Amino acid sequence: MSNSWRFVTTIAKKEIIEFVRDWRTLLALVVIPLLIFPALFIALPLLLQSEAEELDALELEIVWQGSISEELQVAFSDSRLNISFEEMPTDITNLSDIGSDDERLRNKETTAIFRLQQDDTEWKFSVLYLSTSEASNEARNRIITDVNDWERSVVNGTLVDAGLDPEKTLNPVNWDGDSSDADAATKGEQAGLVLSMFIPMVIAIWTASSAIQPSIDMTAGERERGTLEALLCLPCSRMQLLAGKWLAVAGITSAGVALQIGGLLFAITFLASASIIGIPTLSAASVLLLLGAIIIFTIMVVAFELALAMKAHSVKEAGSLLGPAILFIIFPALFTQVINLDGVESWWFAIPLVNILLAMRELLLDRVIAEHVFVWLLSSIIYAGLAAWFAARQFKREDLVASIS
Amino acid sequence: MSGPLLILDGVAKRFGEVEALTRVDLEINPGQVIGLVGGNGAGKTTLLRLMAGVMEPSNGTILFGDNPVSTMRKKLGVVPESTGLYSRLTAWENIRYHSRMYGIPDDVAWGRVSHFAEMLEITEALSRHTKGFSRGMRQKTALLRALAHGPDILLLDEPTAGLDVTSARTVRSLVGQLRDEGGTVIYSTHHLAEAEQVCDRIIIVHNGTIRADGSPKELLEVTEKESLEDAYVFLTSDKARTRTEDDVKEGKMAKWWRRFLTGSTPGTKYSDRMISVQEVSEDE
Repeated sequence: MSNSWRFVTTIAKKEIIEFVRDWRTLLALVVIPLLIFPALFIALPLLLQSEAEELDALELEIVWQGSISEELQVAFSDSRLNISFEEMPTDITNLSDIGSDDERLRNKETTAIFRLQQDDTEWKFSVLYLSTSEASNEARNRIITDVNDWERSVVNGTLVDAGLDPEKTLNPVNWDGDSSDADAATKGEQAGLVLSMFIPMVIAIWTASSAIQPSIDMTAGERERGTLEALLCLPCSRMQLLAGKWLAVAGITSAGVALQIGGLLFAITFLASASIIGIPTLSAASVLLLLGAIIIFTIMVVAFELALAMKAHSVKEAGSLLGPAILFIIFPALFTQVINLDGVESWWFAIPLVNILLAMRELLLDRVIAEHVFVWLLSSIIYAGLAAWFAARQFKREDLVASIS
Repeated sequence: MSGPLLILDGVAKRFGEVEALTRVDLEINPGQVIGLVGGNGAGKTTLLRLMAGVMEPSNGTILFGDNPVSTMRKKLGVVPESTGLYSRLTAWENIRYHSRMYGIPDDVAWGRVSHFAEMLEITEALSRHTKGFSRGMRQKTALLRALAHGPDILLLDEPTAGLDVTSARTVRSLVGQLRDEGGTVIYSTHHLAEAEQVCDRIIIVHNGTIRADGSPKELLEVTEKESLEDAYVFLTSDKARTRTEDDVKEGKMAKWWRRFLTGSTPGTKYSDRMISVQEVSEDE
């Protein structure tokens, strides 16, 4: 083993050991990335579903004011709405005028008030409710659903009385067959499109944000804790020191991103088993280029963050520098989502950050376009090299030693 | 190696406009304990950092044998004032990390360390995380770390600062033993009595210059004083410069921003106050 490699691996190994000995770090590094997508895609929908079922099962008290429709009354009862009948208030200008019923809704004396008025052949209605109350919203939704069904029934009855076929009269133009069969894209390609809308963004933001803490800890943190001077006295060069620290931060960050992708794949497999989403179909070339894009992106981001953190004299200062710097990742990441990939010009693939994010989107759609690959690969390598050069400059600064307290 | 281990020839160090050291010529011979004595801001730490090869001199050369010292860091053992221990590692892991960087196999490093650890009464603590260590324990661990690779010169920056009497005494005993074994130690300290007790040779640093260099006896003879304290006061009678480290630390942008907000530079306020106190005293 060459001396250089020994220095780099010894530094990296020590940094990683020291970093993972903090349980908070492990939580942030392993548990959160691993669980975030399963929580988002599996647990959250399950929770929402159970909440919706609970709400569905509720019997809700409502007040019915004005005219009565027996058909509607039966529908309300079937929808588990318990009705109290009242006269229509006289002090209102129209049916939506809450008037003195405001307090009753706010005090939750009733979940909603249904007002119905028949003028000759025309029916008028309104539902008074409290939008900040879930029960009130639920009551309103049930009432409106029943009113719509009743309206359809009234319309159908009128059409039948007039000797017309309601279906042919109301829906004269219909899609023939299953609309999903008409899509030339396979389920896998459709899944790729869905994933391309957020995976690049997630990778970019997570890589940048999870590299912040180790970058600060291993640079400004060392400076503040007074361990940097002893480190600089070791018989290794500043470049070897930078390489060791870079390897450690990149390793920690990659582990976080890999766990997050693992969690995502688990969630996708779970959703695919329920036929909610397909498994993306990617060629070997796309997968390899995708990995390459992530590695280059990590090199660039970690080098840049290490350099900025090394520029700072304290952990606090480093946090002030790196915190806002994450915006430089978030904005291009959001911006890239709206770029249309059909016929996108090659120069887009030369813009820093945007190039890698666009490349990831294209590759997730399994589009390997040689010209684009050449541009983003070359430009990204140049940017990663520039970031490494900037980091090297920061590590070689003499005041690194002079300003150690 | 015969002849001096370390040769400083016309060494000067500037930080921006601040001259931290001015033309230092020194030869460090093997088998000596050398004390660098001076007040705060005298230039002791800068001189030690230059000798440790972590800083390059603005002028002059520092050679270890025939090579620039920065390329010979493998031959040096350094204990900075901050000790520089990682709190999430055990004492032994801290030592092993450094010895591995010097290419020393773990068993060899352990062999060297255990010998001194016993003397410093720290063997049992080597397996403990350094987080809860006292200042004395940290200092002892840092000493073991610096000795693990068998350096030719040991550089100690204020090794007894903040230590209790017993710990300071143990550290001094270790330095004495290293000398008895033929080792070379450069030892910076504020305390003249300590330097007198431990060192064969004392170098008095003041305002970035070497004011005196010799054995305690030689210093007394040259200055014609009865105690080293009197000799030190005589040699450093000119007013100590104000510390300008903050100026060096502060970036251009930060400096501009501070001036914009406060309209002053650090030190100005205080030096003005000092002058006015002096003036008042004179007036009185």
